Amino acid sequence: MQLQLDNLVPIPLRDKILQRTSEIWNQAVTFTPGSLVKIKAPSGTGKTTLVHYLYNIRNDYTGKVLVDGQPWDTYKKDQIARMRQQQVSVVFQDLRIFDQLTAQENIELKRIMLPNPYCTAEKVTEMAARLHVSHIMNQSGKTLSYGERQRIAIIRALVQPFEWLIMDEPFSHLDDANAQKAADLIAEECRARKAGFILTDLDHDNRFAYDTHFNL
Amino acid sequence: MKQSFFGLLKKIIQTGIGKGRLLMATTGLGIAMFLLLLSIQMHTDFDQLLYNQQNQNESVDFLVINKKITNDMMGQSEKSEFTPQEIADIKKQPFTAAFGFITSNQYKVTAAAPGDLHFYTEMFFEAVPDTFIDVKSEDWKWQVGDNTIPIILPNDFLNLYNFGYALSQGLPQISQETIKALPMKITISKGLLTQEFTGRIVGFSDRITSFLVPGSFMEWANGKFGNGLTPAPSRVIIKTKDPSNPVLVKYLEDKGYSTNQDKLKYSKTKVIVQTIVSVIGFFGVILLLFALLVFSMFIQVVIASCKREIQLLVTLGTAPRQLQRYLMRQFVPLYIFTAIISLVLITVVQWKAAGILAGMNMFVSSWISAATAGAALLVIVLVYIVNLRSVRRYINEIS
Repeated sequence: MQLQLDNLVPIPLRDKILQRTSEIWNQAVTFTPGSLVKIKAPSGTGKTTLVHYLYNIRNDYTGKVLVDGQPWDTYKKDQIARMRQQQVSVVFQDLRIFDQLTAQENIELKRIMLPNPYCTAEKVTEMAARLHVSHIMNQSGKTLSYGERQRIAIIRALVQPFEWLIMDEPFSHLDDANAQKAADLIAEECRARKAGFILTDLDHDNRFAYDTHFNL
Repeated sequence: MKQSFFGLLKKIIQTGIGKGRLLMATTGLGIAMFLLLLSIQMHTDFDQLLYNQQNQNESVDFLVINKKITNDMMGQSEKSEFTPQEIADIKKQPFTAAFGFITSNQYKVTAAAPGDLHFYTEMFFEAVPDTFIDVKSEDWKWQVGDNTIPIILPNDFLNLYNFGYALSQGLPQISQETIKALPMKITISKGLLTQEFTGRIVGFSDRITSFLVPGSFMEWANGKFGNGLTPAPSRVIIKTKDPSNPVLVKYLEDKGYSTNQDKLKYSKTKVIVQTIVSVIGFFGVILLLFALLVFSMFIQVVIASCKREIQLLVTLGTAPRQLQRYLMRQFVPLYIFTAIISLVLITVVQWKAAGILAGMNMFVSSWISAATAGAALLVIVLVYIVNLRSVRRYINEIS
C-alpha cells in the first residue's frame, strides 16, 4: 500500500503554513512501502492533523492524500474499514481507549474484529508482559494511567495485520526505558510484517533506525 | 476468558437507554401482528365455511337467470329475451364458469295420462345442455325415430301436486316411483301437423324449475314443428363457483336480472364479514406502521446515545456492516418471539373457534391456514427490512 501526499494543506492552518517552508505540507511526498519514516514537528505545526489526514478521519484540506494512487474520498466506507483492519494501523496521541472495557478487552476488540485474528491471545499476553502492563489487563479503561493507556494503545495497534503503522507521539507518556521497550516491540512487529511506519514526534530521537526524516 | 466481538460491542453500545421504547414497539408489533393474522385467518375460515365440501353438497352452483317481468313488459314477451350482446356479456363475467341456454318449444304440447286417469293438460318443454342437469339417468337420451321421450320434472311441481292440489281436492298423492312408471301420452302439434309420443318421467330436478326434454329431441321437434327461426332465450343457466360472490349479485341487480334468491343469501353475510375482516386488518396495518415508527425512533436514540463510541469503533476499523449486523441481532429475536407468540395465540383462537363451530355443524380447520403463517413471515421480513434501513441510515450519518 502506497501513501502519497499531493500539495496537502490543512485549511485551518493555511496562512500559517504558507508563510514558512515545510517538507510535508504543500509538497509532493511519497512514502515508500516498508520504510520507517520519522516526521519531526514542533507544537502547533499540524502534526496530529497530518496523522488524522493520513488515517482519513479528517478531510478539511486542499490537495490530496493518495492511497495506492487514489484519493481517500474515492474509497467506500466498507473498503476503508477493511484497510483499517488489514493494511493500516494507528496509535493516536489521545490514545482513544474505551472506558467501559478493560485493558484486555480493548485489545481483544481489535484482535477479534477480523474473523480470523492475525495474532493469538497468547501473543497479546506476551506483548503485555514485555511492556509491563500484565497486571492492569483486567482494570477498566477508565482507571488506567496515561502511560498504561499508551502501552495498551500500542499493543492494540500491533494485534492486527498492517502495511503501515501510523503513530502520533507514541511514547509521550512513557519513561525512556519503557519507551525503548515499546519501540523494540514495534520495530520487531513491523519487521515481521515487512511493514513501514510513520511516526510523528516533537523531538529528535534514536529509538529506531529511521529510513527517512521529514520536518513538518 | 474467551470473548466474542459482539459480546464486546454489547458492552460498548448500550441498548438499555431505549428500553421503554423498545417495549412499546414490541408490544405494538405484537398486537398489530395478532390483528393482521386474525383478519387473514377469519377470511380463510369464512371461505372454508362457504366452499368446503363438508359444509355444502356441491362445490359449484347453478343459477337460472331471467329478466324480471315488470308491468311495462307485460304483453311484450320479446322484452324478456336476452339479446346476443347481453348473452356475450354474461359469458365473459369472471363468475361464469359455464353458460347454457334454456331452449323452449315452438310447438304445442299436450299431455294425457294413460287409461282411466282422466288427466289432460297443455304444457311446454324446455331443454338445457346435459351438463347443467342434476338428474343422472340412463334413459335420458333421445334419437330421431324413438317414440319415447324422457322427461324431467321439477321436484317442486310434484310437491305442489302432492301437498297442495291432491290434499285439497281429495286426489291420491303420488310417489316419485309411481310417476316414473306412468307412461304419458304426449302430443305435439303445429297446425294440422301432429305426432304422438310416449312420455316417461325419468327424474326430478331440484335445480331447474321446468319440464325438461333432451336437447336432441328439442332440436328435432323445433325443426319439424317450429317456425324455423332460432328463438332468443328468455332464460339462461350459468354454472358458478360462488353464488354468494358480491360481484355476481351486484351484476344481476344492475342488469335487472333475477334468479333464485335463496342461493344468493350468503352474499350479504359475506359482505358484512368482509367488512369486519377489513376493518380489523386495517387497524392491524395502522398499528404495524406505528410499531415500525417507534422501532425506528428506538434505533435512532440508541445510535445517537452511543455516537462517540460508534465513531471510535469505526475509526478503529469496525465495518459499518458489522455494526449493522450487531444491532439487527438485538432486534431479530424480538420479532421472531413476537411472531411466535402471535401465531400461538391465533392457533389457540382458531382451535377454540373450530370447536365451537363444529358444535353448530360448521367445519373449519382447527389449524391456522398457510396464508396466516405466510403473513406472519411476511411481517417479520417487512419489519426486518424497515429496521435494517433505519440502522443503515443512522450508522451512515455518524460514521
